[in-house]
Amino acid sequence: MDPIAELRQEAESAFSSAATTAELREAEIKYLGKNGLVTGLMKGIGALSAEERPAFGQRVNDARRHLTAAYESRYAALRQGELALQFEQDRLDMTLPGHPPRVGIEHILQQTTNEIKRVLGSMGFVYEESPEVELFKYNFDALNYPPDHPAMDAQDTFYLRDDVVLRTQCTDLQGRIYEKVEPPLRFFTVGRTYRNEAVDRTHGHTFHQVDAFMIDEGISMAHLKGTLGAFARAMFGDEVRVRFRPDFFPFVEPGVDYAISSPKLFNGRWVELGGAGLIHPNILEQHGIDTDRFSGFAFGLGVERIPMMRYGIDDLRNFLENDLRFLRRYA
Amino acid sequence: MKLPVSLLKDYVVTDMSPQELGDLFTMTGFELEEIIEIRGEPVLDINIMANRGDGASIVGLCRELLAKDPTAVATPLLERLFSGYALPDDESRDIWEHATITIETEECSRFGARLFRGITNGESPDWLKRAVELLGQRPISLLVDLTNFVMFETGQPLHAYDYDHLHGHRIIVRQAKEGEKMQTLDEVGRDLDSSMMMICDADRTIGVAGVMGGLDTEVSASTKNCLLEAASFDKQSIRRTRKRLGLHTEASYRFERYVDPEGVVRAINRFAELLQEITGVKSVGGVADVYPSPRTATSIRLDLKRTRTLLGMPVSLDEAATYLTRLGFTVEVNQEEDSLTARAPSWRDDIVRQDDLIEEIGRVHGYEKIPEALPIGSTPLGGPHGQHLWTDQLRAAALRTGLNQIISHSLRKETPLDAPGGLIPLREPGSPEHAFLRNSLMSSLAEAAIRNGGDDVQLFEMGRVFVPKEGSEGLQPYGETRSLAFLITGDLDAPTWKKRGDEADLFAAKGVLESLGIAARRSLRFDKPVTLDPRLHPTRQADLGVGVFGQIHPEVASAMDLPEMTFLAEINLDAWYSSEAIEPTHAALHRHPALRRDISVLVPSTVAYEKLEEAICSTGGDLLESHWLFDVYEGKGVPEGHRSLAIALVFRKDGNFTDEEGNQARDAIVAALAEQGAILR
Repeated sequence: MDPIAELRQEAESAFSSAATTAELREAEIKYLGKNGLVTGLMKGIGALSAEERPAFGQRVNDARRHLTAAYESRYAALRQGELALQFEQDRLDMTLPGHPPRVGIEHILQQTTNEIKRVLGSMGFVYEESPEVELFKYNFDALNYPPDHPAMDAQDTFYLRDDVVLRTQCTDLQGRIYEKVEPPLRFFTVGRTYRNEAVDRTHGHTFHQVDAFMIDEGISMAHLKGTLGAFARAMFGDEVRVRFRPDFFPFVEPGVDYAISSPKLFNGRWVELGGAGLIHPNILEQHGIDTDRFSGFAFGLGVERIPMMRYGIDDLRNFLENDLRFLRRYA
Repeated sequence: MKLPVSLLKDYVVTDMSPQELGDLFTMTGFELEEIIEIRGEPVLDINIMANRGDGASIVGLCRELLAKDPTAVATPLLERLFSGYALPDDESRDIWEHATITIETEECSRFGARLFRGITNGESPDWLKRAVELLGQRPISLLVDLTNFVMFETGQPLHAYDYDHLHGHRIIVRQAKEGEKMQTLDEVGRDLDSSMMMICDADRTIGVAGVMGGLDTEVSASTKNCLLEAASFDKQSIRRTRKRLGLHTEASYRFERYVDPEGVVRAINRFAELLQEITGVKSVGGVADVYPSPRTATSIRLDLKRTRTLLGMPVSLDEAATYLTRLGFTVEVNQEEDSLTARAPSWRDDIVRQDDLIEEIGRVHGYEKIPEALPIGSTPLGGPHGQHLWTDQLRAAALRTGLNQIISHSLRKETPLDAPGGLIPLREPGSPEHAFLRNSLMSSLAEAAIRNGGDDVQLFEMGRVFVPKEGSEGLQPYGETRSLAFLITGDLDAPTWKKRGDEADLFAAKGVLESLGIAARRSLRFDKPVTLDPRLHPTRQADLGVGVFGQIHPEVASAMDLPEMTFLAEINLDAWYSSEAIEPTHAALHRHPALRRDISVLVPSTVAYEKLEEAICSTGGDLLESHWLFDVYEGKGVPEGHRSLAIALVFRKDGNFTDEEGNQARDAIVAALAEQGAILR
């Protein structure tokens, strides 16, 4: 028999009888490898005449091409089967829970604070802080409180001594800023305040407040409303509207209570957010600011109030108890 | 203040519903708290602003309603109450033959009285009982009910004395003497002091002025003759007294918010007229009116340009004048100057300057008409800067390490985890549970750890702590600093079906600290403490320079019910921020391959790793790209008092490192380590 045809037959049969890709690879090396049997056939070319050589070479190459194709198609078939088997073995229950990475939970009040800082910061309000153990004068006197105002009672305010209190409002920042910074100015703070109150679902002796204020030429109630509107929409959504209602705070004139409403929130009701107004001219004068040239506004609100409104949290005590079941819910 | 809707309609003609009325009051500043039901009728419960005593009356609230709603109309009764309430015998001074009244204190600006004789102080007629009940009071007797009714109607508190029990038929208003005592209507004995104002007869104290009358001269079923008081007292004095005595009454509620001295006679006359209507009894001898220095109102000029600027909405001069007039102001308009001059009515002591008038005009015109506008002008670079920004970045870094953030109370009781040095106490704590200001965040971390199961927790807090020393200007000795603290114990990973987590140990906790240091760009030392922190394990604690770090002291762990393997750190952030910043510097990244050499050395256990590391770094110099400790071994095969350390050294330079060069670099380091007592194994 013709050695080329013989080898071709033998190789074909070896390829087709290989049961695994590994066996097939062995057969491939044996026949088609660099030193394989097909290459070995070419050694016999020396014994042929010059006329026979081209045809012989052609036939060896044909055989190689044919066998390579046979190998590749067999390989593909075997590989497919093997992969199918492997994939079946690899099968995992993709519904098993993942392993959580080590990432801390940010406290809900912190998240709210961050949002407030981002919004007010983007409106040009500079973040500053003031002490929690505060001088009576910054908490009250600098804010136009009349002597003997009810808020100064020990029943309402924690005292360390006659002239030092735990601040009852973050508005204490105002006097401190006016002593250092000339208008025009815009500042805000987010901080902790204290009131001597019995603790229940809606009252606490410790809570957090935002206080923001600005002074410039020609500042009006419309600027206050616009700023509060922009702030409220950033926090509660584009459709939020702001409503003012007259109210009394010693440090503003006119003084208002502001409420927000949105068709998407609170069943369309007006929900009070905080107090605001134009900075009382007595305060500006007390700090040597020309009230004919400058006016300003101030507003405040409770930090806790925001997540309470958003999520329907109805117990103020949750915030400072640090139960991870609560904190994780809002992570 | 309770405002019964059916009663209101005796004073104002309006077809508004209770809810509409409530909304209207809310928009004037007198907020509707809720609509309640008394005797099946709607009653508005209205919140009276602290500076608006005039609102604590039907007349006052009606005035607000009429100012806000021009379609509402005052009834003749209200018109009469507005304009005064003259009675024919007003000019008579005959009463002085029956009673003497003297004011001996500046805190009483007016005292008026009428005398009624031959009364039968029985039950009130049904209309009065109903009115009193609707106003939230319990009907008691005709005289008491009538004083209450007129007070709610006019805002002027009244008091009826049993004339026959008034010794000497005298009334003296004076400050109490130190140590004086009396029994008030509620049958409680009261200790008085010189800050309190009293009503006395010829022999004794018969009432705490503006707060409560005394038991001795109380009107009763047997009262035949009655002296009626209407007075005007200083609001701060009444507040002070009310607070000291812990007595809160409808009278003190009004007086401490300001009661119109010009309304004294009106109230007495209204009472007299109603008493006569009901019983036929007429008062005897007119009004006794002691009013040493009548109130004067000053004129305030209002510039309409400023009004529009501040309100941010257009208001015409005519509108402004109309609103103020409706509220009872006397107004003169100056068209040329676009201004007006206004004199505040006697019942408004809260109006003192131009901006107060602007608020009145805005309130009546309607804040809903104010448009929204954003401020223009100079805009500073907003948001946090400097330390505040650094603090925000550090907090984010703490979260990345896997610590959960807590925010806890600064008012606390004492615990074994308070820092040495003492706590600042509150002068009058509301409860022993929050009598002190925290001086460390560790105790709240421990409390939160226990709340969350006491094990397998990693928590941090950033907040203020307070120490009884130093303090900023004026606040000495109350020091307040920003602090960061964490607590780590147990499994570092959340429980999962495939165990892969590690139990926290000291070095896991130290790793957290080091990673915070990188984020903070500040250095931390781990020095042996000069003074031990008693909260921490004595041989497992370090002085960070700006704080402390270590394992909890086993005794403290046991007292706090925490695992012994609990790790704590606390850093003074103000000090840390002020310490030198470590700014990153650039170094070229060499592209040639690195060469690694591992060494294993035997070291006496007394030699701190830090010393070896210093030797490695100073000897390795620029060639040493990195190094790390990959094994620490003590035990079998290692001599007692020694440990074996395995350290990886990675060398790299701008150019190929030959094996020979690598060995030389390694040998130099080994030689340097030998100087520290380390022997190559």
